Formats: sequence, structure tokens, C-alpha cells
Amino acid sequence: MTVEPLDQTRGDSTPFLNGARTAALSRNEVAALCMKAARGAGMSWGLAEEAGFAAAWLVQHGFDGPRYLHAYLAEAQGRAWSDLCPTVAPGEWRAPEGRTLCPVSLGATLCDHATLAEGLAEGCPLRIGPVDHPVLLVPFLATIAGAADIRIELEWADGSVCIGGDPGDLAGAMDGLAGSAALSLTARPGPARAPAAAASPPIDADTIAALNALAMRTTVPPSEASRAGAGSTASDND
Amino acid sequence: MSRTDLHPMPDVAAFRRPASEVMRLARMGCSHPTRLSFLRTLLRRMRTEGWRIDRPVWEVDDRGVGHAVYRVRGGAHAYSLVAFAHDLPDEMRSDRVIATAWDATFTLFDGEPSPADIERLRANVPLQEAGRVTTRELTLARANRSVRLVRHVIEALSEGRQPDLKEIAAVGYLMRTTAVYGSGKFGAADRADIADRPELAAPFQVEMLTVWLIRAFTVDIVEHMAAVRGGVGAVRLDPAIRRTLGVGNSTGLGMAPFVVRHPILLNNWMMAREEALARVRHQPSATPEAVTELRRVLDLAIRNAAAWTSEHPVQVAKLGDLRRDLDLVSDQLTRWNTGQSRPWDALWRWGAGTLSCEGQEALLSLMLEPHGDLVDDLATTMGADEAAAFRLDGAMRVGDLRAVLADRYGWALAIDFTAPENVARFWYVSEEKLEPRLGERAIEEGAAREQPLCIARLASELEGTLRDYPDDAPVATVLLAHPEHRFMVRRAQVARFHPYAEVRDNLIAADMLPIDLLRSKLAFFGATRFDPRSDRWVRINLFQGAPYPDEIGSEGPR
Repeated sequence: MTVEPLDQTRGDSTPFLNGARTAALSRNEVAALCMKAARGAGMSWGLAEEAGFAAAWLVQHGFDGPRYLHAYLAEAQGRAWSDLCPTVAPGEWRAPEGRTLCPVSLGATLCDHATLAEGLAEGCPLRIGPVDHPVLLVPFLATIAGAADIRIELEWADGSVCIGGDPGDLAGAMDGLAGSAALSLTARPGPARAPAAAASPPIDADTIAALNALAMRTTVPPSEASRAGAGSTASDND
Repeated sequence: MSRTDLHPMPDVAAFRRPASEVMRLARMGCSHPTRLSFLRTLLRRMRTEGWRIDRPVWEVDDRGVGHAVYRVRGGAHAYSLVAFAHDLPDEMRSDRVIATAWDATFTLFDGEPSPADIERLRANVPLQEAGRVTTRELTLARANRSVRLVRHVIEALSEGRQPDLKEIAAVGYLMRTTAVYGSGKFGAADRADIADRPELAAPFQVEMLTVWLIRAFTVDIVEHMAAVRGGVGAVRLDPAIRRTLGVGNSTGLGMAPFVVRHPILLNNWMMAREEALARVRHQPSATPEAVTELRRVLDLAIRNAAAWTSEHPVQVAKLGDLRRDLDLVSDQLTRWNTGQSRPWDALWRWGAGTLSCEGQEALLSLMLEPHGDLVDDLATTMGADEAAAFRLDGAMRVGDLRAVLADRYGWALAIDFTAPENVARFWYVSEEKLEPRLGERAIEEGAAREQPLCIARLASELEGTLRDYPDDAPVATVLLAHPEHRFMVRRAQVARFHPYAEVRDNLIAADMLPIDLLRSKLAFFGATRFDPRSDRWVRINLFQGAPYPDEIGSEGPR
């Protein structure tokens, strides 16, 4: 039995790993860790929830959502909302001059506008970008496709994938969406096919440690006052 | 859950209490367990489906160290509690979440564990938060003994006699759990992966099953140690005494944010309970059997209230109210005209006009007891598919959102958040244990890292921002300019269709009592003997009076 004061509830990631280089995380752990990390990196609580959703969706479909999210957060933390927020207009959503869009904010905003004039309309390409790590956009596009029973053609300079199309296509496209890219989205008539659920990938130790470090920025160092009221101060040998 | 899910008789809704009454913290802090509480739901299912429970493994040595497996077979699945018994020095025994060692540690295994599974679990479960489990495990838990009662019971049994009933009654449990983790924590199975099993669809069923089996273990380990010490002269615990022992539980602030973070669940719990009360009140008449049963459970409640003790001044006052009110109910039953139209509603109206909050909520619980046929189906409506409600509606018009805020959050919009007493506290997560805590804004550091549990203020701030927008603007436009309101817009959209989703009090006010949140949640679990040890942590008892695994098959449904 350990008396070491290090454990997962102290923000230490070692126990996740049991000495290995990777760990299997439940989707609940992925969502919680990524939500906290996104908040720690500066997202609003509501957008941080979207980050948790996106990472958990990716894991549920066999993709390493935590790694993609961390790659984005590591680059983008500290950027002001005005630098991340798209200019929304029918047919074209542009990034601020010289900037790239946040895929989580963009994905959430696309969902918000899904049934509005500025959103995706069947057969009308929507040019967007450039977008950082657009792989993180996929969970949002899959949500839109499923809700409206449409397929969404996602095209970039050297590739394309149909969200809601053949579930097998997604895996081949993910690497091409890991950098940053200008995108074109086109809604096509459904039916939408749901991407296939898959075994969760093992998450790399460095990814977990880095997300944990960001997550710890949402926490408050202890004080005597805070410890005092939290539980028993007397002996529990009663 | 929508109203259509409840299959209500149309005019039953008129008998439902409004959220403005039900969702006040002072009333939530008077909650009593009911027959819809989660441990009752589990016990009912095990009885009616004839679940088979045995203990295929008992490998515990003369020092009380080793492991045991309790196997449950019912429905399409088997579940096994794997229990590890430890030899814990007194100086390491702490109920706080900061503890690193316990008297016993547990996991609920999905199926029947192989020897290799047991060895894997032996390397992890005793470490609790410092170990890892897998998707084969459903919960992770630990318990500490009541040093005083365990010592007394082992001594008595080993000497061939039964323990002193006063000692038993004073504590009420042999061990108390200090955490029961589920829902994918520490690598365990995700709730979404098991929620479609009928026996696990209601909330917290794996956690309740874990605690119920832990209760059996606590008796077994004590009888084992008595046999080790007393040899052939030792006796087993009298089943009647055993029955009065539950599992204790120490719970702190960590549990409080749950009901705020899960508004749809909270709504569904409250809605089910309120619909149950409404169905009972709506009945045109009272059957003699139901009236007899009401008197029986009232007598039990009076005895329970007499035995229920606490030193906390708030709880002492509430217990005084409860005892007085139960006596009033007892008197009223002698006058109650059960032949009148809607006699249950008449009884309820009398109670609402006469009793304290404590007595009213106790009366609610009593009135549900005789009516299992009428209300037990509501237990199936108390879960929630939160993921399905996650996506917010950006096309909603600002005017509609404003109306939702006025309708569901009027109580919050009326609060003056420039007054220090209305922002006196802040919820945060501690760096040292990642546990929720409550700070004093004026004197403690850390408010910049406040958790979004200050719902009233968030609603008020959102309402302020909406003033800059015309009624016909889509919410998507507001969120594009104000990402900081996304969290609250999502909640407000949930509250629109879930009237009981929000605690209608300011959770950062100077006079807010966190134990009120704890009591509400614990009552839904089915906890009894709520005993606050401060305004933010409590001890309770689970399964006191309930059957043990060797008894459950021989009891009729209740």
C-alpha cells in the first residue's frame, strides 16, 4: 500500500500510466481532462466544454483527440478571442487578418449557425479559414451532418473527406487535417451515415502530462482556511 | 424527461408542486429518502427478479488480510464485488479524500473475475486514486471501520455473546465508505457503455450495488475475526441485530457540485418525485390497505426520528421540527376523513399548511410508501442522456432566451450582485487534491479561478448582455461576440424544458449552507441518519434495515 502523496487527483499523471508510456483513458476522463485543460489554456467554460466534447468524440471513434487538442492548445493559449473569432457571413467565414481560427470555437459556432442563413446550405460551398488543427472540427461537422441528415464535403488544398459518408474514409483523412488549412465545406443531400465507433486509442504519457499541466491552472493552491472546512479535523478512529 | 415520458393523467399536473417551491435550498435541505431513492430501486429489482447472490471466494487470513468476491447474478449480467481487506494502523485511518490507505478497498467487476483479474486488481484497487482500473470495472471504493463498534462486536461474538444493542444503535454501521467512484473514473467503464442495461438504467445503480455488497462484507469480516479469536466458542451476529447495521458514509463538499453540474439529472430526480406526489394526491379515494400501510410507515418514521441524532445545531433544530411534525401527523391521522373526495390531497394540504419544511418532506415520503403500484414506474425516468442535450440551439431568438431567463431565473435576476453578501463565497477546485471547496471571496486567494457554480450570477450577467440585442437576433450572434456566456446559454436552454433543473438560490451567498445540497442528493440515494459534522461535511447511513444477500430472496416485494 502506498503512502506516497502522488495520485491522479493531485494532478500527477504518473498513476495514469502505471509505468507505461501510454494509458487507456475512459471517455469521461478524456472529456474532463480536456475540458479542464482548455479552460486552463484560456477558453471560456462553455467553449472548454466543447473542447471536452470534441476530444471525447474523437476517442470514441478511435482517434487521439487529446493529442490533437493539446497540439492546438499549446500553440494557441493566450490568444485573445478577437484573434480567434471568425467573421461570419454567408458563403465565407474568414479568420482575422494574419490569424488562424480556433477549431473548437469554429466548430461550436458552425453548430450554432447550422440552421441560420450564415451556416451551411446544401450545394453552396462555405469557404473557411485558415483553421488550426481542423481535425478538431470533425466532431462538430459530424454532429451537424447527423442532426440535419446531410453529408458534408470537407475539402482542403491537398485532400478531401465526406463527413456522413463512408465511415471508413475518415481514418485516412485525419493526418491531413492535423496541421492548419483553409477549408471549403459543402453540404450534400443525405442520408448521413454515422461514423463507426472504435476502440479508444492509448493516450501518450506526454500528452496526458501536458494536458494535466494546463488543467492544473484551473485549480487554487491550498490554504489553511480551505482545508479546515473541507472535512473532519478530528480523528476518524471513532 | 418530458411530460409525455411520464404518461401522466392530464389533470395530475395540477397537483404537482412548482419549482419555485421545490427547488429552494432550504427545502432541498429537508429532503427525505423515498421509495424512488436509488437504493430502494435496486433492492426492489433484486427482489422481484430473484437475483442470486453468493460469495465464491473468501481468502482472508487470521490477521483479517486478504480478499473476497461477492457474486451477483440477475438479468443478463453478472457483477462481482472484489473486496480487499487490509491491516490498517490507526494513525493512517482518515475519512478525508486526502487519505492514502484504508481498512478495506473494493471494486465492482463487470462479470466474474478470473484469478488474473484478481491479481491485476490487487495491484491497483488498494491504491485507490493512485492506481488504475479498466473498462471491466464499474466502481472503485474504500471503507474505514468504526473502530469502536468493530472492536466491541468482535469481542462480544468471539466470547459467544451478542453485542450490546445500545452500542450498535449508537453507531449504526461497522464500516463507512469514504468514496465510491463510478462513471469512468480512474479508467473504469464509462456510464454510457452500461446505461442501456435495464438493471443499470436508473442512476447510481452500480454504486448502490457496490455499497450493498460492502455491507455484507463488513459483517463477514467481523464474524471472521471473531471466529479467529474465539474459535469454536464464537457465534455469528444475530440476523435481527445485523439488519439494523447499514454502511456509514462520510461525505464532504466534493459531492455538492454534482447536482449543479447535472441539471437534467437533477430535474429528472425532482420531476419523478413531484410527479409521484401529484399522482398520490390526485387519487379520488384511499384504500384501507394504503391507509394501514401509511400508519405502519409513520410508526417506523417516528422510531427512526427518535433514534436519529446529531450534534450540529442546524440539524438539532430540524430533528426537533421532525419529531414534533411526525406527532402532528399521527394526531391528524386520527381525524383524517378517508371517505372524503381526494383524501390524500386533503392530507397533503393539511400538512402544507401546518408542518415545517422538515415535516412536509417527511410526509411526502410517507405518502408515497403505500403507493408502489402507482409510482414505482417513475424510477425508470430518473436517468438522463446528457450528451443528447449538449448541443445548444443557436437559432433561438434573443427574445425567447430573455423569456426563459425571466421565467426560470427570475429569482436570480432579482439578486443584487454588487452587495458583498451576495458574492461572499466562491467555489473552486483545490490544487492539492482536485476536490471542490468553497472560499471566502473577501479574504481568500483564488477567486480568479472560480468554478461556474454561481449560476444565479451567470444568469444575471447573461441577462445584462442580452439587453444590447434585439428580440429577433439569433443566440448564435450573441455567442459569437460573447463566448463567456456559452456556458449559461446552454444551461438556460436546458432549464427551458426542465423546470426543476436549477437550485433556485444563490450558491455564493454568505448564508448558503452546502449541507443542504448534500442532503438533497443523499436523500435521492436513499441515505438515512443525515448527521452534519460542520456546514460542509456529513455522515450518513445507507441500507440500514435492508435485507442482506442471504435474505433478499425470501422477502416479498416492497
